[in-house]
Amino acid sequence: MELTKEKLLDMYKTMVRIRTFEMKAAELFAAGKLPGFVHLYAGEEAVATGVCANLTDKDYITSTHRGHGHLIAKGGKIDLMMAELFGRTTGYCKGKGGSMHIADVDLGILGANGIVGAGQPIATGAGFACKYKKTNNVAVCFFGDGASNRGTFHESLNMASIWKLPVIFVAENNMYGISNYQKNHMNVTDIADRAAAYGIPGVTVDGNDVIAVYEAAAEAVARARKGDGPSLIECKTWRHRGHFEGDPQVYKKPEEQEAWLKKDPIPRLEAKLIELKYASQADLDAIKADVQAEVEAAVRFAESSPLPNPDDVFTDVYAD
Amino acid sequence: MAVVGIIANPASGKDIRRLVAYGTVFDNQEKVNIVRRVLLGLAATGVRQVVYMPDYYGIVPKALDGLSSQHHLSLEVNPVDMELTGTQIDSYKAAVEMNRLGVGCMIILGGDGTNRMVAKGCGEVPLVPVSTGTNNVFPEMVEGTIAGLAAGVVAGGRYCGSLAVHPTKKIHIYKNGAPVDIALIDAVVLKDTFIGSRAVWDAGRIRQVLVTQGEPHNIGISSIAGNLEPVGIQERRGLVVEFGEGGITLKAPIAPGLIQPVKVRSHRTVEIEEVVSVAEVPCVIALDGEREVEVKEGDTASFRLTFDGPRVVDIKLALREAVARGYSREEQVTRL
Repeated sequence: MELTKEKLLDMYKTMVRIRTFEMKAAELFAAGKLPGFVHLYAGEEAVATGVCANLTDKDYITSTHRGHGHLIAKGGKIDLMMAELFGRTTGYCKGKGGSMHIADVDLGILGANGIVGAGQPIATGAGFACKYKKTNNVAVCFFGDGASNRGTFHESLNMASIWKLPVIFVAENNMYGISNYQKNHMNVTDIADRAAAYGIPGVTVDGNDVIAVYEAAAEAVARARKGDGPSLIECKTWRHRGHFEGDPQVYKKPEEQEAWLKKDPIPRLEAKLIELKYASQADLDAIKADVQAEVEAAVRFAESSPLPNPDDVFTDVYAD
Repeated sequence: MAVVGIIANPASGKDIRRLVAYGTVFDNQEKVNIVRRVLLGLAATGVRQVVYMPDYYGIVPKALDGLSSQHHLSLEVNPVDMELTGTQIDSYKAAVEMNRLGVGCMIILGGDGTNRMVAKGCGEVPLVPVSTGTNNVFPEMVEGTIAGLAAGVVAGGRYCGSLAVHPTKKIHIYKNGAPVDIALIDAVVLKDTFIGSRAVWDAGRIRQVLVTQGEPHNIGISSIAGNLEPVGIQERRGLVVEFGEGGITLKAPIAPGLIQPVKVRSHRTVEIEEVVSVAEVPCVIALDGEREVEVKEGDTASFRLTFDGPRVVDIKLALREAVARGYSREEQVTRL
């Protein structure tokens, strides 16, 4: 599979943008500036980036409570996202949704979701719409290992498989459902195994290698666009932060932490870019500086935006 | 006392060839079922001790856990002492440790890639490779019970001699003059830049192949050799194939369900100990079906064919020999 220098550098910038946004969110949350909970995606950037690099604005994604990375990778605007985290009227949900409810239908982002496993039937429905309307678009459903235990997962895979819907189910197996180690909440370790029960392809890839994720997603997306039905891609990864900001993470072992930090997807891609002479360290530093400036600008935008009025609680409740 | 090692790779049979070809999702519960039957086979031959590679799924403990009470095993089953990495290195480390412990035989559940890792560490210990991977030329499609019986008679030595164990060939990979890896079946030069998702499925990217064996009934890249000029497992030669315009086009099953036309420019026999230079650099070299070695602009790479691969049990021969020596008889019978 060909992957151009431009595409790789673009994916690198996306990964850095996600990481920078998340670390800024961590800092702001610790400072008490964000009014709601945040669940950060740091460490898992290669998954959203590698998958969404195969999509267009006309394709759909559904996200999770840990959704910032998916939204940024799909083209979500970070100033509007940051304003939403701050609860401001300029945010994606006019400040009423917060981190876990950001959506941008124009970009095919059908929403982050505070309910574990709730994105799966939504993506299946979006896939049905694509097929029914013959649009040649696809729907991608991001979810975690814990969500693959939910009834929605099994119902969605069943329905998508019998109707051969263009849905790519992307399991982000970060090894923990909240604080519960995967081994304690499921009797299989490879979520890809579950594809066999629904007669669809299931593959496991290194979720911290953006090139491996990109390749697998490219094939699954191409398959879906050709009308060959859904796929399940399991990406093995690990979250650098707790389940939520403030989580003391007593359930993580130090040696596990050490091993996974060595597999951080961003330095891995940096090393590859330098080895291939696609970029120098100075080039990469410049990208990081650009992104840092973008994120700082997003914070300024958010902080200078107004809070909703009490009366706004009655607006946007029902569709017109 | 005969000791047998079991290396069951929990990651085999799950790569991208489920998407790009028609590879089976080989779920780990099926590996548990196979190992359960392997253990019963081993116990029936009198093996009393088994050591196994621990893994993140717990294949062997689950196999033991699921045995019904009437099949209680008189086996001591223990994991080897090793730190898990959750990568292919685990198979190598387990093989090294089992070799050090002096096991009489190792049973390997995986595909060609798993056996390649085991081959780096198993030394002279005979292998019974059981197919649970994607491209399976090195391992056999064999019922677990039979694999256990064969490994048991070989490990014990009482019922089976060395005639049932055959040597295999191997390809040594060199980069800039230094050995970097090995292959048991094929080394494939690809017009690629990245290792990425590892698997090989696009015949259009293949530039050169060296095979240790190749038959028309093989699955994977070595089937190309099989469709040109078959090379047997015991023949003292290999085959190098170069791809491109100006030769012939043939079709070969390069992955499960994926029978693709390939343009072969030339091919020739390679002798044991012969060195073959990699003609096109930069490239990625796939070993036994998995992209492993990146060769950059300015690097050199070469292959050397040898006959010092791992020793493999001929299951049919081993059991025939064991039967001839009476392993299956609990009492003397009169031949009519």
